[in-house]
Amino acid sequence: MTTTLLPEERAIDSHRKSHSAQTRRYGFFPGCVAKESCKELFNSTMLLAEKIGIELIELTAASCCGASVVNDTNRDVARVLNARTYAQAEALGLDDVITICSTCTGHMRAANKELLESEERLAHANGILGKFGAKYNGSVMVRHLLWLLIDDIGLDNLKKMVVRPLNGLKVAPFYGCHIIRPESVNGWESARQPHSLEDLITAIGGEPVDYAGKTRCCGFHIQLEKDGIAPAMVGQNMRMAKDNGAEAVITPCPLCHLALDGYQADSAARWGRTDLPTFHLPQLVAFALGVPADTLGLNKHIIDPRGALVARELIS
Amino acid sequence: MAQITLDIFRFDEATDTVPHRDKVAVNVPPTTTVLDALEAAKAEVDGSISFRRSCRSAICGSCSMNINGVTGLACKTPCNTVMDENGVVSVDPMPNFQPMKDLVVHMDPFWDKYTRLKPYLQPKDKDSDHERERRVDPEDMKKLVQVANCVMCATCYALCPVVSVDPSFAGPAAIAYAYRFIEDVRDDQRGERIAQISDDYLWLCAHCYACSYCPKHVDPHDRIVDVKRAAIKDRVMMNERGPRHALVVNKTIRQTGMLQETEVIQGTVGRFNITGLIKVAPLGLRLASRGKLPPIFMKPIPKVDEIGIIFDALEVPVS
Ligand code: SF4
Ligand code: SF4
Ligand code: FES
Repeated sequence: MTTTLLPEERAIDSHRKSHSAQTRRYGFFPGCVAKESCKELFNSTMLLAEKIGIELIELTAASCCGASVVNDTNRDVARVLNARTYAQAEALGLDDVITICSTCTGHMRAANKELLESEERLAHANGILGKFGAKYNGSVMVRHLLWLLIDDIGLDNLKKMVVRPLNGLKVAPFYGCHIIRPESVNGWESARQPHSLEDLITAIGGEPVDYAGKTRCCGFHIQLEKDGIAPAMVGQNMRMAKDNGAEAVITPCPLCHLALDGYQADSAARWGRTDLPTFHLPQLVAFALGVPADTLGLNKHIIDPRGALVARELIS
Repeated sequence: MAQITLDIFRFDEATDTVPHRDKVAVNVPPTTTVLDALEAAKAEVDGSISFRRSCRSAICGSCSMNINGVTGLACKTPCNTVMDENGVVSVDPMPNFQPMKDLVVHMDPFWDKYTRLKPYLQPKDKDSDHERERRVDPEDMKKLVQVANCVMCATCYALCPVVSVDPSFAGPAAIAYAYRFIEDVRDDQRGERIAQISDDYLWLCAHCYACSYCPKHVDPHDRIVDVKRAAIKDRVMMNERGPRHALVVNKTIRQTGMLQETEVIQGTVGRFNITGLIKVAPLGLRLASRGKLPPIFMKPIPKVDEIGIIFDALEVPVS
């Protein structure tokens, strides 16, 4: 059912009402980390989808988005890899690809923007996809689950679905870079003063904690480049969150999650102990919506988040 | 006229051990720039308020500071775009720098990194061999125009989270400016320049795009990626972790369609670099204790041969 769209009909902006949004059937791009070391993210996303009545159709033959690294060696490869993924979504009749990772969001949107803004680049990508009989028509938009929750479900509706409000749990939002910056690629909200996560935390009964680190980098992408760098960046950010009263952190990005959850033990020497548990976005929302806590993989975290829930008498 | 209140960071390294703040009210229209409001405060209220400025029109790069927590040029920021409901604008020195006096900071680390670039043309031949200036094809100059707009205001450097934890990182402006010479057809030191900037931790950029707020739209991040591509293309310092990381990621994507975490760690740190691997091991052990170590072998995605076709068509390097 794919049709070729004229350039002016193509929308890379995230505000278009997609066909997928109307039918509640979305293309789903879990990304590498949700399939490898953060399987609990994948599972809790599926449980949340069921709860809110949407169908996430996994693009099982999709490749890695390029994760900011492939761009370092070749200017075209991320664009063509992602064009291949979008072609798969189109072939399934889906025009909305949902991600659960800030890095995937940013890089897939950047690739899509490049493709849709230039006939030449789209033709170049299709020239390569054509070698194995695929074609991208330019009908796909890429969004993060966070935006889907707010745009397609709505905060008011979400609020109505909450059966286990978070009882004022003080949650520090940690956006990660690529879901907000650069604004020319994401543009869903202000990158300097984002508030989507705060709004979501409030909707599920928590209290958002404001701190300067919420839009700063977690250091994941350079954790292997030089020892000690990522822990230092994690410590700096978590210190600010802790000092402002946070009991837990929520992030839309599994890479941020790995860094924040994994490196607080290493950052303690320089920044003092912070020990803030880090929830994946769908975990905490699903929990508030009544998905049983023991199905959310909370025991898979290095800093066990169940303590924060017990302290607020949310679980026993 | 509306009143603007400047809430100013005050500190003099010669006499103070801790900073304090002064609130200074000035009668200026709300469309006045933060810099002109500061000028009014200095002229009319307190002559000791210190800040740098010269051009007042976003050309000299002197006046970058934190305005309500956001780093930018004071002469390019009208008060009414930042003040709160009471007309208060708070001003602080740029982060990532040592304060000297009020809004003036020690710029030395920034200039040091710039100086290390040898930021002048080093052509093969002497100027005196030429009767007139060297001619450059406009096409060759095009890609340099954007970086040449850099006014060295250090806004990007102040915003960079890597600089904030590791001052040995060259920072966004210096790497972007290295690009300006690396890609200049008249220059003869391309290899040396790439090696120098690699040595100053080119590969430590975290891709965070904090430097995308450059007031002159230089987009340092994108130029950093260009310099990395030049390093890979010319195969400069390929045994460093940065290039190894990039290439092993390519390799695993080509083989499996996915970024294979275990393989990437070993390929970056070095399979036989036992000390290096032990240093990254604590996180691995923590992950293992939760039963979430990434798999060692991965099943390739369906139709993985298509990835090979893409990589071949684009000549993507994997080693
Ligand atoms: S790149 Fe932009 S922000 Fe950085 S020093 Fe140059 S002009 Fe200033
Ligand atoms: S993108 Fe790189 S250079 Fe720019 S601010 Fe982030 S880490 Fe620093
Ligand atoms: S005074 Fe020259 S840039 Fe602001």
